Amino acid sequence: MKPPFAAGFTAEAARFQWRLLAGLALVVVVTTAAVLSAARHNIAREEEHRRETEFQVSLALLRSVQAHRHAALVERGRVLATKSRIQAALEDNAEDLLYLSARDELRDLLAPPAQPAVPGAEPRQTARFYRFLDAKGRLLAPQPGAAAGELAPGEENRLSLAALPDQPQLGYLVLRPKGGEAELLELIVIPIFSNDSGGKLAALVLGYNPLRLDEPAGASPLASGIWFEGRTHLAPGGPAASAEFAHALDAALFGAAPPPRRLQVETGRDSWLVFLQRLDAGGIYAPAYEVCAFPLGPMLARQRTLGGQILGVGAAVLLLGLGLSYFLSYRLSVPVERLAHDSEVQRVRRAAAEAALETTSAELDRAARFSANASHQLKTPVAVMRAGLEMLQARDSLREADRHEVEALIHQTYRISSVIEDLLLLSRMDAGQLRLNFTAVSLSELVAAALDDLSAMAGDAELQVEQDCPPDLRIAGEKRYTALILQNLLENARKYNRPGGTIRITARETGGSVRLTVGNTALRAIPTEVREHIFERFHRGSAGENVPGYGLGLNLARELARIHGGDLQLVRSDEAWTEFTVSFRAAVEAGQLSA
Amino acid sequence: MKAPAPWWLALAAGLLALAAGTRAATIEGRVALPKATGTTVVNKRYEIVSSGGVVSTNPPVAVVYLDGDFPAAREAPAVRVEQKDLKFVPQLLVVQAGTRVEFPNLDDTFHNIFSYSPAKRFDLGRYRMGEKPVPSVVFDTPGVVVLRCDIHEHMRGVILVLATPHFAITDTDGNFRLEGLPAGNYRLKTWLDSRNTQERAVELRADTQLRLELP
Repeated sequence: MKPPFAAGFTAEAARFQWRLLAGLALVVVVTTAAVLSAARHNIAREEEHRRETEFQVSLALLRSVQAHRHAALVERGRVLATKSRIQAALEDNAEDLLYLSARDELRDLLAPPAQPAVPGAEPRQTARFYRFLDAKGRLLAPQPGAAAGELAPGEENRLSLAALPDQPQLGYLVLRPKGGEAELLELIVIPIFSNDSGGKLAALVLGYNPLRLDEPAGASPLASGIWFEGRTHLAPGGPAASAEFAHALDAALFGAAPPPRRLQVETGRDSWLVFLQRLDAGGIYAPAYEVCAFPLGPMLARQRTLGGQILGVGAAVLLLGLGLSYFLSYRLSVPVERLAHDSEVQRVRRAAAEAALETTSAELDRAARFSANASHQLKTPVAVMRAGLEMLQARDSLREADRHEVEALIHQTYRISSVIEDLLLLSRMDAGQLRLNFTAVSLSELVAAALDDLSAMAGDAELQVEQDCPPDLRIAGEKRYTALILQNLLENARKYNRPGGTIRITARETGGSVRLTVGNTALRAIPTEVREHIFERFHRGSAGENVPGYGLGLNLARELARIHGGDLQLVRSDEAWTEFTVSFRAAVEAGQLSA
Repeated sequence: MKAPAPWWLALAAGLLALAAGTRAATIEGRVALPKATGTTVVNKRYEIVSSGGVVSTNPPVAVVYLDGDFPAAREAPAVRVEQKDLKFVPQLLVVQAGTRVEFPNLDDTFHNIFSYSPAKRFDLGRYRMGEKPVPSVVFDTPGVVVLRCDIHEHMRGVILVLATPHFAITDTDGNFRLEGLPAGNYRLKTWLDSRNTQERAVELRADTQLRLELP
């Protein structure tokens, strides 16, 4: 059901829905784009990381092979040092006999046995040469016929060291045969220790063809080699062991010390991802770096393929996201529309209520004023009427029966004026026109005066009055109205009492307030459902028609008590006893008080 | 132009020389030796140690000898260096150049005695106990010869070949005594290890009795 004023906010709700849809679509697009970009980036990173891991794994394998070889050669060196003839050659000034003595011991390094010692094991790599260094690191040149492998004298001298290492060391040596390709050899330096003193006697230097990286499973590196002294020595036989690549890498690494761990190298046709890792940690020879190059072409192609797939998936996700966001915006805008609708209804209702309130307030005001005016206007005719009746009563010619009639009429005028007084007072209170002139009122005096009035009115019923009022209790209030409260309560206590009953008045001060209790022996209990109504205006309870009153007394008393800052309550009503309590504020001092 | 000496003069010189021989000079004394390394050796035996190419004995002993121009030993009796219990006995042998040294194998195993020392390079090959003739080498060049066994790497011996017949090995406290020394001016040398030989001049007469603290 759409209210008549719905057209405006339906358009607004539609706008809201569109804005929501646009916002959601934006979020979806941005998120998809970010995820796509991150995914592409990640794939590139992953790929590179995988390559590097492959390289490191291969390198670790190579290292372990090297370590095994080192261990074996160190053992050879140790055994060699124990040989009497080697010791004699090194210790007894017989270096000329060193190579001849070592020839038999080391022969197998240069020409390993045709059959591996363990069937199935890889044949040992053949050393290209071996040389001894003396205790000071100088080369001990072999005698002719020593069969220690051929080396040109210039190359041989490059093996000399400033000092012998304590541990086996790795190094490299470039051989440049005349008219041939430069060749890189791996050097292993093994110190030889004296059997007797443990001191370094000499060192054995072995030259090997460099160990090559194992081809990693899957995508194999297409070029590997060693970068040494500013030149790349690629492993021979690799499919891409092109001089072009080596030159490009040399150019890229020119002057770099140390070289970067990874770089990209462009050759004319291709680009390469190159990893480098230093090989010899000891550093007694010039540093060398293992080089491993992966062609970027296939990698980029794969990345492109993957990127295309990711884009496809992204587009699908985007479409789905847009659909979802439309659905979501629709679902979200429905309650919002309802909310907008509801709030519109609320607004209209509130406006109406406010208008009504204003009207009511004006009416109330008018009514109060009318009531006050009316009361004033009524008092005068009643006074005139009473004066007329009293003159009539004073006439001697009046018969006795008529005189009683007149007397009753006069009494009624008193009742009328009393009602008018009460109404006047109430209407003034309703209109907020009653201004209290607070003074300290002595409660005991008040009670005494009220009891005086009561005894004057008591008439037929013999009532016993008990009072318990501390003589110095003073309350804050205007004497006229406080007296009226008490008067009303005592009136009720008299009216609704049983013949020969009791009225008890007690007053107590507790914490700044004074409680005055007026109790009386009851005719009967006030029914529960009536109790809350007895303070209402013109309510007479179930008092019965034979009891005089017009239902203003308790209402007036309560209103007066409340404008004095207190209250009036029925505290007990049963078959035996009815009791009201009115509370006042205690007078702080004898002086003036204001509300 | 000088006439040859008359025969009696030659006879007198011969008699004098004979008298000098009976009353030859003596040097005795003590060499301050470096401290022994390693465990205290209870008996008087010592072994050859080599450290950084320097051969010495442990506990240290010294060889004191009179250096001079003496004729090489001729047909002197052969000296023996035995191989016993996988050791050379004695481990330090001092001979005059030209002395033949025999190397009998007294062990139940093969030995292969060789030396790469420049003073005498030789290789006796493998042989067993009772090899006949006993393998021997004539040491004709003065110097230190380190004896090794190709089979037993720890076996080490030293032959100190000297140009003089006048030498003595100190005991492990450094005490020595050289007797029957000819008169003349000599250099008294003290061999402490293969790299360290101290020397001093001595002038000996026929009746000189020297007591020296060396080096």
